[in-house]
Amino acid sequence: MTAGANGNGNSRGMRQVLLVGDTTLDPLARLLDRNPDAPKLRCSAAPYGQVFQILLDGSHPAWAHKPDDLVVWTAPQLTLPSIGKLMRFEAISHDEALREAEQFADAVLQAASRISLVLIPTWILPSRERWIQMLSCKQGVGLANLLARANLVLAEKFTAQSNVVLLDANYWQTSLSRPAHDPRMYAVAKILYSQPMLEKAAAEIKSVLRGSLGLAKKVIVCDLDNTLWGGVVGDEGAHAIKLGAPDPVGECFHAFQSALKGLRARGILLAICSKNDEKFALSVIDDHPAMVLRKSDFVGWRINWKDKAENLVSLAEELNLGLDSFVFLDDSPQEREQVRQMLPQVYTPDLPVSPADLAPFVSSLDCFETPALGREDFERTEMYQAERGRREVVEMSGGVENWLRSLQIEVRVARVQRENLPRAAQLLNKTNQFNLRLRRMDEQSFWNWVEEPGNSAYVFSVSDRFGDFGLTGLATVSRQCQDAQIVDFVMSCRVMGKKVEEALLGYVFSQALADGAVRIMAPAFEGPRNAPAREFFAGKYLRGDDTTIDPERVAIPSAITLKEESLAPA
Amino acid sequence: MKDLIAILNQIRPGQDFAGSTDFFSQGVLDSLDLTTLVAELETRYNVFVDVEEIVPEKFRNLAAIQQLLAKHGVTL
Repeated sequence: MTAGANGNGNSRGMRQVLLVGDTTLDPLARLLDRNPDAPKLRCSAAPYGQVFQILLDGSHPAWAHKPDDLVVWTAPQLTLPSIGKLMRFEAISHDEALREAEQFADAVLQAASRISLVLIPTWILPSRERWIQMLSCKQGVGLANLLARANLVLAEKFTAQSNVVLLDANYWQTSLSRPAHDPRMYAVAKILYSQPMLEKAAAEIKSVLRGSLGLAKKVIVCDLDNTLWGGVVGDEGAHAIKLGAPDPVGECFHAFQSALKGLRARGILLAICSKNDEKFALSVIDDHPAMVLRKSDFVGWRINWKDKAENLVSLAEELNLGLDSFVFLDDSPQEREQVRQMLPQVYTPDLPVSPADLAPFVSSLDCFETPALGREDFERTEMYQAERGRREVVEMSGGVENWLRSLQIEVRVARVQRENLPRAAQLLNKTNQFNLRLRRMDEQSFWNWVEEPGNSAYVFSVSDRFGDFGLTGLATVSRQCQDAQIVDFVMSCRVMGKKVEEALLGYVFSQALADGAVRIMAPAFEGPRNAPAREFFAGKYLRGDDTTIDPERVAIPSAITLKEESLAPA
Repeated sequence: MKDLIAILNQIRPGQDFAGSTDFFSQGVLDSLDLTTLVAELETRYNVFVDVEEIVPEKFRNLAAIQQLLAKHGVTL
């Protein structure tokens, strides 16, 4: 089992991170250690200049601390001899340089088998390396051209290895207002990068680790006046707000909305919290010709005169999401401060003063990191909107049973396979509430676990007459002789409250019995937010102090249709 | 001087900077802290410390740092 693969402790406690490079990375290790944001890290920087030795030799002392994560940050002119020569205008073979890049990638892949997650910042040139501009991008000749191809070699080599992630160090460099390299510090202590670059790297590495551990934010809640548009619509009227061309300020708010729409397209939910008249504000959103975001882009809203913290709590309840997955954007410093004090778990950043900086600000937010994007992300807003329709039906249908029957819920079950593995791992790592054991595992570790004899893993896709929820359930079972244990039981909060969990358990239970199990247990891990899963199973146990499931309490609800799909074992 | 001690405390919390006569020989700071300190001072006081000045002697205690900053036109 690789380090961190059991998910017990590492994701909740201190993660050990090993930094390996061809220059001094100790300052980065210290910045990562001192960064107060989750996850807490304990970093060690290996002695510089031993990159290949460390990557290829699992018994190297650098591995003694058994790190969970590895960062390998190298300079191309030092790690690839041919690039160093080309910088000095010596004759080289570009093919040979690419072979050197392949050798580096192979060494990384070898180390990747020993570790949970490997982060590789892409190769960048020193900030002021001009070379010969007329030739630098020329194929087979130029330095910039060769470096781009060498980075592509890394991307290609790492494609199939889900626990190796290339990070765009070029973005880090260009986002800084000062040079990324500091020749003074290199002369003094072989520290290649400037302090701002190291700080940026630390922030980005933290963000990526948060994303890989399912700690990314999921919802942006926006104010309206002077946030989505310029001006106060209730005072000035819809015609007077600043939004869209030709007014330059209006253009800025248009660009801001476009940036938010981009986040919505990749699965971040948008909601509104504004002190306004609801009917009027919604009419402006749907009728103003320059609005980029329409009512259908938002999964919920609280447009009223109530306290904003109270409204955020109520939105979180409606969306069935934790407040710690919320980002709140409001132009008013007073409103922001109140939300920060009342709801410190909501990320409430200061907004830029200039409207021109709003769109770049949203594009630079580092709290939405994710290791993969899939259909469930692209269609998330539509799924939540369908949920609004369902809630309206339950209010009219009279009685939960009637309502459930009216939904025509269908659950399709399949084994975990390579095709659905990314989504299965995403579900395992991102779900906090209906998650029995809170195991956090990267794709490869999870796959290795699934392939072990005696282990079974199922995914569940749920749909009803309002739409498709997509792949929203995961259950794994480990069987030894007559005893079976439900190891993971994970369900997206989108399908909670529809008795889908009863169907999932009924299916998994019957499969375990069919496989020869006599006693089926489901021990829970007590996490801060997984009470829904724990309480569901507490109602299924034979006795309070025994996690054996009582067969009398397991049944697939008659209102739910369950279908099996391609059930060949992995 | 309060500002300077606050910067040093960020780099190495809980050390007695005011009471130390030589941060480096007394183990209050190490050579890597020196590079961080230079970067912090440059950002805070908008100065540029050149390579020949990045040596422990110039940063060995509060008075030495005060003297270096004064050379760059910064009065603490």
